[in-house]
Amino acid sequence: MVKTMKLIGISFLITLAVISCKHNEGDYHGIHERITKESENFKGTTISSDAYINEIKTIEITEGDHTFLIPERKSQIKSYACSDCHTVSLSELKDRKNIKKAHWDINLNHANEKIMNCATCHNGSAMDHLKSLTNTKIDFNKSYVVCSQCHTKQFKDWKGGAHGKRIASWAPPRLSNTCVNCHNPHDPHFETKFPDRFNTQYEKERK
Amino acid sequence: MSDNNKKWFSLNINSKKNQNNNSCGCGKPSGGCNSNTPNSKEISNEEFTKAAINASIGDEIKKDGFDQVFDVKMDRRTAFKKLTASLVIGAGAVSTSCSVITDDESKEKAQIDWEEQFKGNYKLMTNEEKSATVDRLVRSYQLRTGKNINMSSKNAEDDVLFGYAFNISKCQGYMDCVSACVEENNQDRNSQMQYIRIHEMKDGKGLNFNEADDNYYHEVPAEGHFYMGTQCFHCDNPPCVDVCPVQATWREDDGLVVVDYDWCVGCRYCMAACPYDGRRFNWSTPEVPEEEINKDQHYLGNRMRKKGVMEKCTFCVQRSRAGENPACVEACPTGARIFGNLLDPKSTIRWVLENKKVFRLKEDLGTEPKFWYFMD
Repeated sequence: MVKTMKLIGISFLITLAVISCKHNEGDYHGIHERITKESENFKGTTISSDAYINEIKTIEITEGDHTFLIPERKSQIKSYACSDCHTVSLSELKDRKNIKKAHWDINLNHANEKIMNCATCHNGSAMDHLKSLTNTKIDFNKSYVVCSQCHTKQFKDWKGGAHGKRIASWAPPRLSNTCVNCHNPHDPHFETKFPDRFNTQYEKERK
Repeated sequence: MSDNNKKWFSLNINSKKNQNNNSCGCGKPSGGCNSNTPNSKEISNEEFTKAAINASIGDEIKKDGFDQVFDVKMDRRTAFKKLTASLVIGAGAVSTSCSVITDDESKEKAQIDWEEQFKGNYKLMTNEEKSATVDRLVRSYQLRTGKNINMSSKNAEDDVLFGYAFNISKCQGYMDCVSACVEENNQDRNSQMQYIRIHEMKDGKGLNFNEADDNYYHEVPAEGHFYMGTQCFHCDNPPCVDVCPVQATWREDDGLVVVDYDWCVGCRYCMAACPYDGRRFNWSTPEVPEEEINKDQHYLGNRMRKKGVMEKCTFCVQRSRAGENPACVEACPTGARIFGNLLDPKSTIRWVLENKKVFRLKEDLGTEPKFWYFMD
């Protein structure tokens, strides 16, 4: 008799334990738990960014763990290729006197003169390329490599997606603006301006 | 009419079952009664009467005429449809006698209006019913203005949960997002309703909304200030949904908190319940110049609203469900706005949540907003 009672008691406890442990589907303690649980079996979606980026010329890049698309650059630069005009070497050009400066309209406002000049980024010996601090050739399409030499924190955030602008679509494949799509490399800061609109109705209501 | 004991309104979730029993939504014994009840099997008058009597409550078995049709257990919608059908026939008859040319159009208009007036809650609709109401709204717009619109009733996709991140170090207060939002979502131009507010805050004062200015007009970014945008945060545990007395607002499977503008009664409980000032009310009939109307619409998103209903940010459901970025994300020139799928471990929004120091507003309320802020 005592044995049966014990058995019943134990089985009751076990059932209770099972019931109390059981989580209802969709019951989470918070959004972070929900995200972790529900993304465990993430299979991908049918939604793709292809429809929104097909008109944009892109190149695929891989940096660390991240592979994504950035807009192609060379075809967007009006006077590219540089070698179309730069037929003689820079040292030869320097010797010529009384000629008009070609890039008079470019005002370099990036760091200060002691740190940067044209030749910090532009390759004097291979005009159609940029250059790294150690004089390696860098393709204009991958200009972000030049920027990343100094702006390491921004580069890390940009790779992950926290810095910079994702364009067209939130769905994969990812297409993000590269540095020079938002920042003018010769004058990289954002200008002040007046806001796009002013709500006159708010103003009236709050008087 | 659905339940004699109830003195209050409740949603009749059994409507489908009832329709199946009687084979036809409007109670007509033969098919072809209504645009959105396909596959109605034909049954004889006798069978229908029998089924109707069986389904009815009360002891009286003998019924005649009116009672056979109306004294049957049915939901509000079915009942009104029966009334509608007869009224439309009446209206049609009147217009036929008065006019010859406008006959078909006005009849169709009347039919659409009645069916729209007495349709169910979008949340409970089947996919067929959803596309039927969307078709009616598109046709109605065409009849009224002669212009065509696209309206979608696209449902939430599996494995998608939308989330948003806002970089307060990057926002410059340009308000390009606000303009893009107004244009995208057909917001009332007269009352200058805006879903997004950009708060100008003083450096060193913390997130002090009392001292922040959300309606500035001077060159931005102003010295010694930072900018922080607020809008609907699409809470995972939304208090606005809990308080709605008619269930006109709910959370979709992809996390969007949406409003059925046709089911909303305009009580503004949700507006009071929202701790983030995320909801807006149409005090007057929203007006948008015809040439400025965004014609790519979604039933739950930017279709034209009417006076006396709530509305709010939907993360541009018409765009986001199709894969496009919301209008505010697209318009932002600084990249301060990040949008994506929280369930995709490789998405940029997930990287931000896992690698940046993120926070949300009023986290202690347990509303679980899916809108995070972070700094560089």
